[in-house]
Amino acid sequence: MSKRVVVVGGGISGMQTALSLKSLGFEPLILEQSRQLGGKVADWHLLFPSFTPAEEVTVPLIRAVRQNGILVRLGCKVVSIESRRVILCSGERIDCDAVVLCSGSTLFDATIKEEYGYGIYDNVYTSADIEKMMNNECVATASGAAPERIAILHCVGSRDEKVCQRHCSKVCCITGVKQAIELKKLFPKAEIFNFYMDIRMFGPGYEELYRQAQIDYNIHFVRGRISEASPLMDGRVQIKAEDTLTGRPLRMSVDMLVLMIGMRANDDNAFLSSSSGAELAPNGFFKSRNSFVDNVLSTKDGIFLAGTVSSPKTIGQSLNEATTVAHRVAEYLNYGN
Amino acid sequence: MFYSHFCIPFIVGTVILFVTILYRYVMWIADLPKSDKRLIVKGLFTTATLRSIWETIRESLLHVSIFKRNALLGYMHCSLAFGWFLLIVVGWIETTAYMGAEFVPLQGHVFFRYFAIGIDNHIVTFDHIMDALLLFVLSGVALAWFKRLKSKHLGMRKTTKHTIGDRIALSFLWFIFPTRLVAESITAAVYGGGGFVTANIGAALNNILPASLLTGAFEPIWWIYSCALGGFFIAMPHSRYMHIFTEVPLIFLRNYRLRVRQSQSSYDNFQVQACSRCGICIDACQLQSQLGHNNVQSVYFLRDRRANSLNMNVASDCLMCGRCADRCPVGIDLNSLRLNSRAAMRNMPNERRYNYFNALDRSTGEGKVGYFAGCMTMLTPHTLTAMQTIFTAAGEDVWWADRDGGVCCGRPLRLTGETDSANKMVQYNTALFRKHGITTLVTSCPICLKTFREDYNLEGIEILHHSQYILRLINSGKISLQHSDNKTFTYHDPCELGRGNGIYDEPRSVITAIGTLIEPKHHHRDSLCCGSSLANTVISDSEQITISSSLTLELEATGAKTLVTACPLCKKALGRTTQQKIVDLSEIVATNLNTKP
Repeated sequence: MSKRVVVVGGGISGMQTALSLKSLGFEPLILEQSRQLGGKVADWHLLFPSFTPAEEVTVPLIRAVRQNGILVRLGCKVVSIESRRVILCSGERIDCDAVVLCSGSTLFDATIKEEYGYGIYDNVYTSADIEKMMNNECVATASGAAPERIAILHCVGSRDEKVCQRHCSKVCCITGVKQAIELKKLFPKAEIFNFYMDIRMFGPGYEELYRQAQIDYNIHFVRGRISEASPLMDGRVQIKAEDTLTGRPLRMSVDMLVLMIGMRANDDNAFLSSSSGAELAPNGFFKSRNSFVDNVLSTKDGIFLAGTVSSPKTIGQSLNEATTVAHRVAEYLNYGN
Repeated sequence: MFYSHFCIPFIVGTVILFVTILYRYVMWIADLPKSDKRLIVKGLFTTATLRSIWETIRESLLHVSIFKRNALLGYMHCSLAFGWFLLIVVGWIETTAYMGAEFVPLQGHVFFRYFAIGIDNHIVTFDHIMDALLLFVLSGVALAWFKRLKSKHLGMRKTTKHTIGDRIALSFLWFIFPTRLVAESITAAVYGGGGFVTANIGAALNNILPASLLTGAFEPIWWIYSCALGGFFIAMPHSRYMHIFTEVPLIFLRNYRLRVRQSQSSYDNFQVQACSRCGICIDACQLQSQLGHNNVQSVYFLRDRRANSLNMNVASDCLMCGRCADRCPVGIDLNSLRLNSRAAMRNMPNERRYNYFNALDRSTGEGKVGYFAGCMTMLTPHTLTAMQTIFTAAGEDVWWADRDGGVCCGRPLRLTGETDSANKMVQYNTALFRKHGITTLVTSCPICLKTFREDYNLEGIEILHHSQYILRLINSGKISLQHSDNKTFTYHDPCELGRGNGIYDEPRSVITAIGTLIEPKHHHRDSLCCGSSLANTVISDSEQITISSSLTLELEATGAKTLVTACPLCKKALGRTTQQKIVDLSEIVATNLNTKP
């Protein structure tokens, strides 16, 4: 009988992990707490830097999971993990030979940055809201009009000690550029401003897209964080910021304020860590055994990591880790440690 | 008659002590600003003098406020101060009883047992009284020794780390009374006499030791006693014991309404040197209890400032929460002293920085009530919308003072020591308030409130915190609230609102008008700081979070559904460390308004 590996999470990392494990002759079981597979990517519209529809990633993966007969249990939340056993919130125990954590991360709750007025004023959105609006083809201001001026604020809930999120969320810079271009395509007359601390264009084609945004789409980039937003009588939002390159404070009225929310560690990580003995990094993400050859191993034998459960990552990086982790699980189960 | 060579150390010490102290006091008073001198002259023949005498007895001798904190600790301080005082006074009466009103030099009173050997008609009562007093003081010394070992039993978690000068003076002090006991006992053993303590010890010594040894020890032991006194007196003005005398003029000057100023003045000398380094402030400090910062508390700040070795780090590492000042038994104005120390190091105004004031004022509108939300309230806009709802419901005419054209109240600059820049803000805002003719100024920020009350001259304008204002609206019937006992709240007293402005009851009255209030472990004057104070420019964000976490644990432990505070900064700080709902007072008012029929 082939060995069973529990994969916690049915996002893209979880699905790819399960597929790779299956092809190596193991019997993976995906435990997903929501009612569907696909994770966060399923809510996204187009993917950077190529503007590929997100469903081109999720749909083939979901189809492959079905075709390969991989066991999937939806709507079940894991409350405790030991190296050879997983306990669900129903109290059910599932024995297994190894566990791969693909439980991903959580999007930062923008209401915590109360000064931006998210959830208080109209016309303040998060990057995730914009993706949903794009999916539903209903991007507009609260009154249904086409925006004439849009501000996109980077680093909301990332690289921000004030909200206990010191780490860089990695993908928001390029997402800001991507959404700016998408919005510009939708509203060619709109002025679009990106407010940033640093622009980190680390991936292939990212820097090119950033240049294209400035040259071809005339999108403005202002180095400085927005300090506060307040509502105007006409429903627009007034923002205050400092252009740190010129050293001058500025005030601007915009029709839409879009907050690039970062990835933060799941709250569940705390008890998954304490029950399993796999350690967490100071930022709350799971800690890799090291950043090089063992980056998909947790600090506990038999518990593996893939995807954004260990740090913010792009889709490509997460999928690579999923393939890698399957091989490391195979080594562990076939040859012992 | 009243002289022997062993008196020399004592006489020399006493002369040096009084010359030093007198010289210092004369210089300090001469250096006082003219207006301070006028205050003294004005106050001299008023009840302030009588009040000061009474306060001196209560605090300098009896140490009533320390008794209130911990009875044993109070007894220790009282026995040393009041006991010694009585020894001197009763000693003088004793001498007078023997010698009549005749002049007796100082050493005659102090070493009376030595000089009384030849006198025939013994008044035994005095011997007993003096012995009892000596025992009283010795019990204090014993407690002081005990406190070194087990300070917890005297209500102190941590005690002061002393300087070398303090240790020297302390050693002399601890020597004085035991040597006096031994000297008087040996005297009783050799020459008879003595009270119920010294006579009995003397008799016991006679039994144990050979008479020749006792006779031989007689002169040397009086020499040792005199040296201990003399040594202590010489060390005293250069140690923490300078407070013994300095607390007295401080009490008088304070009652004559002298105050610590924005910049350092000669009056600060009395404040700084009145610190006894008792260390009561250390336990109050959350930087100590939560973060283990050990060298920055008020006692160490004052020590460094006294020694002219104060550095920026010690001056700046303080939340200015006022918990130490609240407990200080001497009533030293700790926060103001720290502020003017910061100002002395950092007040370097940049004139060009405030050129933007010129084109700033775009304010319009009028209203009897001016609402100054405050910068931090702008960053917590739930409070803004709640206040708007309340103003509308009450039908109040409100002019929003800092929406179009107001600037920062200036207190954050003041807290970092940039007094001159802060004063620019004060001038600008004052002119703006006057221009719009408001009669009431309401603010949601206790930090602004404090500076409006203390640093602005807003005569004719009533300054209210929004908790006070909302309570007035409720009491006058302009708004009414839905009450339900099932709604449970706990309330965090912001430092600047509570200890800073003395506002404790109004927020509580507002909360109890809506639901049930459950007090956390520390509340009112004893409430904790949220850790995000603007006053501390040293601690890191993660250290702020450590402090905040300990506070949210206490608030959550009440089991109340909603955590309420009345300061935007506290709200932000607590929001970082709790998963529970944390709201400003105005928010619960706005959501529980009865809509008018």
